[in-house]
Amino acid sequence: MLMSQQINRRDFLKVLGVGGAATALVSCAAEPPETLIPYLIPPEEIIPGVATWYATVCRECPAGCGMLVRTREGRAVKVEGNPSHPVNRGRLCARGQASLQGLYNPDRVRQPLLRGDSGQFQSISWEEAEGLLVERLADLRRQGKAEGIACVSPLLGGSLDHLIGTWLAALGSKRRLTYEAFAYEPLRAANRIAFGRAVIPSYDIEAAELLLSFGADFLETWISPVAYTGAFATMRAYRDGRVGTSIYVGPRLSLTAANADEWVRIKPGTELFLAFGLIHVILKERLAPSIPQKEVQQLKALVKAYDPEAVAAVTEVPAGKVFRLARMFARARPGLAIGGGVAAASRNATATLVAINLLNYVTGNVGRTVRFGPNANLAKLATYRDMLSLVKAMDKGEVQALLLYGVNPLFTLPEAVGFRAALKKIPWVVSFAPFMDETTAEANLILPDHTPLESWGDYSPWDGVHGLMQPVMQPVFKTKAVGDLLLSVAKRVDERMAKEFPWPTFYEYVRDRWQELHRRLAPMKEFEAFWEEALRSGGIWKKARATPVRLSPEAFEMAFEPPELDGGVADAFHLLPFPSLLHYDGRGANRPWLQELPDPVTEIVWDSWLEIHPEAAKRMGIGEGDVIAVTSPHGALELPAHLHDGLHLDAVAIPIGQGHWAYGRYAEGRGANPLALLSPIPEATSGGLAWSATKVTLRKTGRRHPLVTVGGSSQQFGRGIAQAVSLAEMMELAKVGEGAGREAHRPKQIYPPHDHPEHRWGMAIDLNACVGCNACVAACYAENNIPVVGKERVAEGRIMSWIRIERYVEAQQLNRTDIRFLPMLCQHCDAAPCESVCPVYATYHTPEGLNAQVYNRCVGVRYCNNNCPYKVRRFNWFQYQWPEPLNWQLNPDVTVRTVGVMEKCTFCVQRIREAEDRAKDEGRAVREGEVTPACAQACPARAIVFGDLKDPRSDVSRLSRDPRRYQVLEQLNTQPAITYLKKIRQALE
Amino acid sequence: MTRVGAVVAALAVATLIAARPWESVPIQPLAFSHKVHAGEYEIPCLYCHVHAGRSAIAGIPSVDRCMGCHAIMKADKAEVKKIREYWDRQEPIPWIKIYDQPDFVHFSHKRHVLKGIACKTCHGAVETMDRVQKAVVLDMDRCVACHMEKKANIDCLTCHR
Repeated sequence: MLMSQQINRRDFLKVLGVGGAATALVSCAAEPPETLIPYLIPPEEIIPGVATWYATVCRECPAGCGMLVRTREGRAVKVEGNPSHPVNRGRLCARGQASLQGLYNPDRVRQPLLRGDSGQFQSISWEEAEGLLVERLADLRRQGKAEGIACVSPLLGGSLDHLIGTWLAALGSKRRLTYEAFAYEPLRAANRIAFGRAVIPSYDIEAAELLLSFGADFLETWISPVAYTGAFATMRAYRDGRVGTSIYVGPRLSLTAANADEWVRIKPGTELFLAFGLIHVILKERLAPSIPQKEVQQLKALVKAYDPEAVAAVTEVPAGKVFRLARMFARARPGLAIGGGVAAASRNATATLVAINLLNYVTGNVGRTVRFGPNANLAKLATYRDMLSLVKAMDKGEVQALLLYGVNPLFTLPEAVGFRAALKKIPWVVSFAPFMDETTAEANLILPDHTPLESWGDYSPWDGVHGLMQPVMQPVFKTKAVGDLLLSVAKRVDERMAKEFPWPTFYEYVRDRWQELHRRLAPMKEFEAFWEEALRSGGIWKKARATPVRLSPEAFEMAFEPPELDGGVADAFHLLPFPSLLHYDGRGANRPWLQELPDPVTEIVWDSWLEIHPEAAKRMGIGEGDVIAVTSPHGALELPAHLHDGLHLDAVAIPIGQGHWAYGRYAEGRGANPLALLSPIPEATSGGLAWSATKVTLRKTGRRHPLVTVGGSSQQFGRGIAQAVSLAEMMELAKVGEGAGREAHRPKQIYPPHDHPEHRWGMAIDLNACVGCNACVAACYAENNIPVVGKERVAEGRIMSWIRIERYVEAQQLNRTDIRFLPMLCQHCDAAPCESVCPVYATYHTPEGLNAQVYNRCVGVRYCNNNCPYKVRRFNWFQYQWPEPLNWQLNPDVTVRTVGVMEKCTFCVQRIREAEDRAKDEGRAVREGEVTPACAQACPARAIVFGDLKDPRSDVSRLSRDPRRYQVLEQLNTQPAITYLKKIRQALE
Repeated sequence: MTRVGAVVAALAVATLIAARPWESVPIQPLAFSHKVHAGEYEIPCLYCHVHAGRSAIAGIPSVDRCMGCHAIMKADKAEVKKIREYWDRQEPIPWIKIYDQPDFVHFSHKRHVLKGIACKTCHGAVETMDRVQKAVVLDMDRCVACHMEKKANIDCLTCHR
């Protein structure tokens, strides 16, 4: 109406003016008010605004590290290692950090589910669900079919294990199976055959002078990775003119191999013969310490045919190297040989590990670096063969009810086992899983358990180590603890069972079990005091004594043969599936942090891939990203190719863990599962799954699926970013000592130095310790509310990690592997290039030496990141979301950034402020070691050290004067607050 | 009135309605009066806002703190009956926040309370108010002015992290 008239200029301006003012006023006044929600009855131990910590045990893998959980207002927000726990001693890996994303996973099963006639799951009440279970079990008992009740669980090592066992037995069934995808059957069998003990002993990596790993990925998933990473870092530290040496023998350059001083590329499955070759040389040249003559003769007879030339022909390891390795290993005081990975996954796995046992025996390591006594409880697992027996029984219709707890056999068993078909034959499948996984999706009834962070319990990973678990918060969803459920069901099945299980809840059961521990380990104390102490420190530990073992004659009766391979046609490649550091056996795939963290060796995110050697790829005309159809005699899958030098030419490798089809939004539809392709036949001696005994053929599909990496070059181009010194150079540096002449080269400063009245925070990062595991990155994500951006954004270079592991490949040839891992984060430069270019002064240098970023001042010019030579600043291109309840994990002490602002590492300023706050309360100064940023706190290798550079006696000050010190891109004169210590490289040839 | 004038007037009225001036003192779920409790009965602030001296957050009294007295005292009054109703329903009272800072401001009550700064310095003479209103505008200007006067830390990271 108005527009049809002629409007004069004054009127137009009036309308514009009032309209503009109106908009401004309306937008200012229209904010909805915040509410303040009080408690009804405030819990005694919670002070809002102050964190409460609880000790518990991490259950993300069988290593069972101790954990301290930080809770705020009744919500778990951060997990850290428990310093008192003997396994991890205060450190935690990336998977441990991601346990929070298990607790708060949006795809958790939130209440009991029953499969209806339509085949869809419907929510039902706990009353109904329990009632159904009781009915079914009672029915089976009445009909005398109770032996048809089977229960499969993972390694539970404690009270829950005992409860399930006795509960099932009381029901009338013996079908109890503890199943893990990686159950180390060949290792257990090899120890039984060689030393008469079917156990997994303690391996003292820290004490070894030469660590020889036949495929054991001890920095990634092998037995107890956090403990071994710490031990490895200590082993490699420079002491009295020496450093520990590590050699990795295997067909694939894993993370563990990348950190070794030498990678010996071997034909897969022939590790046995190399071990024999080493024994041959050691015995021939009389390098072995005194072992009984009879045994020497027996061993000589055993390895007679394995002279270095013969070994070279079979293994493709040059004869000269065999000689050299043997001499080095024998001379080590002490050495340690361990076997795992591919060496323990072929059809001759047990034989290989027996050979490695013999190698340790011959060099006198047994009783020194291999100690029987403090054994791993992993040895108590059932074998893969036992699982096959169960499947056979299922197939025959002998199983009436299958109870599944914490296992996903549909994903982890080879498809050819026929688990899916067998599962269909069972009338009643019940799962207690907290997540909908592949196997749970086939169940009839789901009674979701709490996640470990919400549960009572205990876990004993090693003899003498008893970790105590307690819930750190109220359950997030309407789930019920399995222990409570079993006790409740027992009371309702019949009178007799009710009498046998009088405990009202699982909590009482655990306490009762700990009465026994109390009697055994601390009878002098009152039980309540003992219990309180155990709760506070996270458990009770008593050193298990090492017991001597003798070489068993059975070792000489073994058949030592080359491995049989399935699918050996022309042009077939040896398939090497490998457990992933991030996903383990696939259980980590539904945690977004673990998807966004790059694979440490290939730097690929959110995917899985087929690794192939570039020469082999060239031969077949395969390019990076080409989708390849991989076929074995037992299955097929498709994956994009990734060209990887670190591989034997005859082998292709696929990481285990992706390829889920029913495990939540983050895991589904990504990559492919190599376990599906494997032959179902177990390894004869141990009954384990020989997951490296299959050959596959490759075929180009013509399609492409580009793989996303986190970017950055793997070449240093002479920039000296990740520096190393040789051992000889190190010895020279050590002579010169601390503070050796670097100051002389300092260029003249234009600006006056900063004034640091109280503290000057700084960091030291030891590249000799860093193994590139990404635990620091995961910890930073958890502590600082860093958003997960997803695959497409990572492809655009918009990953938000404040700290990243840079991987530089200095050399990757047959004789020399030099791969360096460098944690890169904001260097908090004294002469920061970013500070001077911010037009709004949102970034500046604080009096405590931090480079500060004030989010509310930032207007998003992004010149700061442009100027930063380290490229550590991150811009919020989008308003990132945390789907409920992942947002419960957000740390309230750190601002959640909005779209349009820059962010970067703050040296965990919230922790600095917390320590200063506490110190002020107590009227004292901040102490050395009181402030630890999340990255430094997590690192299993203790590579990152933080502290006050103003205190000359602090660790960080001492390390900033270390002879190995340097700073990244020193020549730019940014004067970082972070000092790096050069890696010590040994040239072993 | 001209057409343009009509439009201008309409916009002005709309703005006034949108600005909601009658709501500048928010109405709480029940008519708690600080004038009665803190003024007449002289109940100390920290009796209800218990955490002010030991945490960044001062805290709002839990429902059981109210019930501590009001289970019996003045239990016949209409507004007091509402407390009992919330308690019986096991529902927390959803108070409306008056003194709110943006999420990127990390203020610590403990530090200020332990320095002996009276609550009314920032929250106004609450003991004279029946319904709490924003008596003091807590913008950054005010914070910095006091910090500079008392020689406290004015580094940005003190509050913004």
